[in-house]
Amino acid sequence: MTIVIGFEGSANKIGIGIVRDGEVLSNPRRTYITPPGQGFLPSQTAKHHRGVILTVLKEALQEAGLKPADIDCVAYTKGPGMGAPLVTVAIVARTVAQLWDKPLLGVNHCVGHIEMGRLVTHASNPTVLYVSGGNTQVIAYSERRYRIFGETIDIAVGNCLDRFARVIKISNDPSPGYNIEQMAKKGKRYIELPYTVKGMDVSFSGILSYIEEAAEKMLGSGECAAEDLCFSLQETLFAMLVEITERAMAHCGSQEVLIVGGVGCNLRLQEMMGIMCEERGARLFATDERFCIDNGAMIAQAGWEMFRSGQQTELSDSWVTQRYRTDEVEVTWRD
Amino acid sequence: MGVNERAVQLLSSEGRHPTPRYAGPSGGRSSFLNVPFPSEREASIALGSLAPDSEPRKGGISKEMCTAGNILNVKWSADEARILRVSVGSFLDHLALVLETMLEFGPPVPL
Repeated sequence: MTIVIGFEGSANKIGIGIVRDGEVLSNPRRTYITPPGQGFLPSQTAKHHRGVILTVLKEALQEAGLKPADIDCVAYTKGPGMGAPLVTVAIVARTVAQLWDKPLLGVNHCVGHIEMGRLVTHASNPTVLYVSGGNTQVIAYSERRYRIFGETIDIAVGNCLDRFARVIKISNDPSPGYNIEQMAKKGKRYIELPYTVKGMDVSFSGILSYIEEAAEKMLGSGECAAEDLCFSLQETLFAMLVEITERAMAHCGSQEVLIVGGVGCNLRLQEMMGIMCEERGARLFATDERFCIDNGAMIAQAGWEMFRSGQQTELSDSWVTQRYRTDEVEVTWRD
Repeated sequence: MGVNERAVQLLSSEGRHPTPRYAGPSGGRSSFLNVPFPSEREASIALGSLAPDSEPRKGGISKEMCTAGNILNVKWSADEARILRVSVGSFLDHLALVLETMLEFGPPVPL
């Protein structure tokens, strides 16, 4: 029996989860929510995390019904993410690991998403679409690495959605993406936007600039509604993601797709991906907001796999890093 | 030992509120901070938690940390006061977080 506690705080969510042999014992989380029209900045986000992290840690232990002595390993997000929030969370993880005399383990955030998705859905060897506010990647496993087959060449898909939400002043509570999704359901008209798939990669910044300008003109003149723009943006972005995912599946001969990351809980994305999978006779795996959106259990789960395969991080090597590619990690826990 | 007593010890009389001292020629700035802990073990835990991350800014500042007994010693040298202020400010935030974590989840288990 191995129990791992995972600390995550690379963006505006702070979460601490405890996993025991594939079972999530607790997974509390808090979100730093900014006013409409504003994004979250590193120093303020770190301040938010400092203010709540110890409460969240107490909750995680209480809900799991565990004492620190029961824990075998302390995992935390090493990167990628925003520097100041990453450091904040790593400092608490290091301190408790030393106070409790437990081994420490730095986890790649993206690998955390993949391992949590595999655990929750039981997908065995899927093509992974990882879509969030900071990352957009199509990933497949081969020879001990999660290899990136395609990715964004500029901003992440979630960043494109978040920033559009700011332009039209949509609430950030519970998240801008969720509110865009709800508004898109009421969209009646499709406004044509640039469609920018570049081979296996995608580009979103041009679409954002285009729709920012279109929003100002068309909303001002009453030519279309904000709902129509939300609908059109989602349809365009998600069509691009489905296209590169399908191509990666064809390359790998894969019959499974797993969607992870915060944007992955968008039901319209899941629906569009589902249609593509049905046409190919493939299976789609997705999770809900508890595990799609950043959380502590995903770091605990990836940490569990790493720890069981013999990995540990020495204190002196426990620095965090804003850049940490998915394919830098040697996957020692899979064949 | 109760949490409150430990709180008093952690921010004990010698180090009530650690006060940075400034020194050095007008161009460069240095600052020192000496933080007493209840024991050598806690000072070394704080060092272990605070030392791994290097300064986010490349160049213009250096920070060295070590322990002497139950004291955590920090020394900064910076080109400009502005850069020094940012680094000291951020260090104090991190130090406070380590102290709170020790209060809530300590004392350290016997080795």
